[in-house]
Amino acid sequence: MIILPYGIILTVIMGACLAGIACSLMGTFIVRMKLSSLGFCMSHAAFAGSALGLVLHINPLVMAILFSIAIALFLGPIVEKAKLHADIILGIMFSLMLSLGLIFLNFAPQTAMSSTAMGILWGSVLGMDTLDIINLTILTSLIIALMILFSKEFKAIMFNRKMAEASGINTKPFYYLLLFLTGITVSLSLKLVGGLLVFALIVNPTSIVCQFSYDIKKIILFSPLCGVGCCLIGILLSFLLDFPVGSSIAIFSSIFFGVAVIFSPKRRRG
Amino acid sequence: MNNHSKYNYIIELLNVDTIYEGESIPAIRGVNLKVKKGEFLCIIGPNGAGKTTLLETINGLLEHTEGKVNVFGKEIKRFGSSIRKEVGYVPQGFSVSSLMPFLVKDVVLMGRFGKIGLFKSASNEDYQRVKKAIELVGIDGLLKKPIGKLSGGQLQKVMITRALAKDPKILLLDEPFSSLDFKALAEISERVSSLHEEKNLTTLMVIHNIPSIPNQCRRVVLINEGVVIQDGPVDEVLNSESLKFVYEVKR
Repeated sequence: MIILPYGIILTVIMGACLAGIACSLMGTFIVRMKLSSLGFCMSHAAFAGSALGLVLHINPLVMAILFSIAIALFLGPIVEKAKLHADIILGIMFSLMLSLGLIFLNFAPQTAMSSTAMGILWGSVLGMDTLDIINLTILTSLIIALMILFSKEFKAIMFNRKMAEASGINTKPFYYLLLFLTGITVSLSLKLVGGLLVFALIVNPTSIVCQFSYDIKKIILFSPLCGVGCCLIGILLSFLLDFPVGSSIAIFSSIFFGVAVIFSPKRRRG
Repeated sequence: MNNHSKYNYIIELLNVDTIYEGESIPAIRGVNLKVKKGEFLCIIGPNGAGKTTLLETINGLLEHTEGKVNVFGKEIKRFGSSIRKEVGYVPQGFSVSSLMPFLVKDVVLMGRFGKIGLFKSASNEDYQRVKKAIELVGIDGLLKKPIGKLSGGQLQKVMITRALAKDPKILLLDEPFSSLDFKALAEISERVSSLHEEKNLTTLMVIHNIPSIPNQCRRVVLINEGVVIQDGPVDEVLNSESLKFVYEVKR
């Protein structure tokens, strides 16, 4: 087990809590609106973007945000009108973005397979600094504020976008706001879990909570708590077992999901 | 929608075509339809005739490709969202996943969300309207149930309640009785009809089962292959040669 200074541990815990809240809150929308394939592509686009940032000596975070938002703007309208099946988008864009990311890393002579590059792939929780915490705090606060401010609209869209439109809500700005926020959330969470696994933090906590409730209000309330729990236990496991943090979080949350499915009252008779 | 008195027809379609993306043949074409405030109109026609397309073109959920659609005297293309705040819509064969995490009471209240507007939460008046709609359709016992656990008929009742909770000025019903048993059909048909009478509610109903056309309906539009074949009083259309032709050809 690694012994770390108190300041670093505090930064790691705060980062994990904030990323856990932000990712799982966005996850409630991504999962409900069946945008998983789009979110998955965005997380890998963020990985490719940050790898390109390393090659071009531009802040990888800025490039990650630009790439994931570009993917959202490009794929958003395609998914929106169901012009392409989600599986096709996932298959093509996932492999394209992963390939681009790996090629970019290859072109970064000093950084390929270095700790920075590996950090983008698998996360480097110990590399989190005060600026990351400030960014995540602003993002998490923004997401919570928007969710409270537009809770009616988001709930209606999560239930059924066409029916939300029929009730007189202009759903397009909210749809793109969700994609935009997902892009930023994914990019800011890269340091914690890495580009390959950030999507586990978006999908898994919500999917776990969904096993226990039919009430969307409870799901929105408990998903962030579950996300924080998954992050903290994942980090603890990674310190204890010397695993990469992203992998530990993904493995723990996946096991938790499996257990939730087994014990879900939704699958019980009587 | 404060300028209701400025128009002659509450719904006006002028030479309207609607083509689905990726298609070359319009699902409806050259449709001219004028509906006065308070009219009760039924739209009939065989499967695939364009009845649902017509309803969704009227409320702007489908964008028309030719012609003009005005509702409350305003162009649906420009004012779609604000128009839809006053239009109740019950879609055909609406279904949800059995794991859908929404309770019936939340889904019904959602019908009013557009009307409540941005940055506001539901007021007492909103809850009163919802309560009235629930009593009218008689779904009190379902309110705390997950929406995905309802039967087809129960879900249809919830969607009707949701549309009525809005207290709409126009009601668009797409085969609203298709999943209802005979008793529920008779009850809801009677309640929708009485609502039409009490509130002078403009009602357009797509209906498959011709004998289920409510008594309050005075006008029937017969549509086939995207074209309005006949539009007139109920008896006239139901006894017309066109009706026999349309259905015999299909048979």
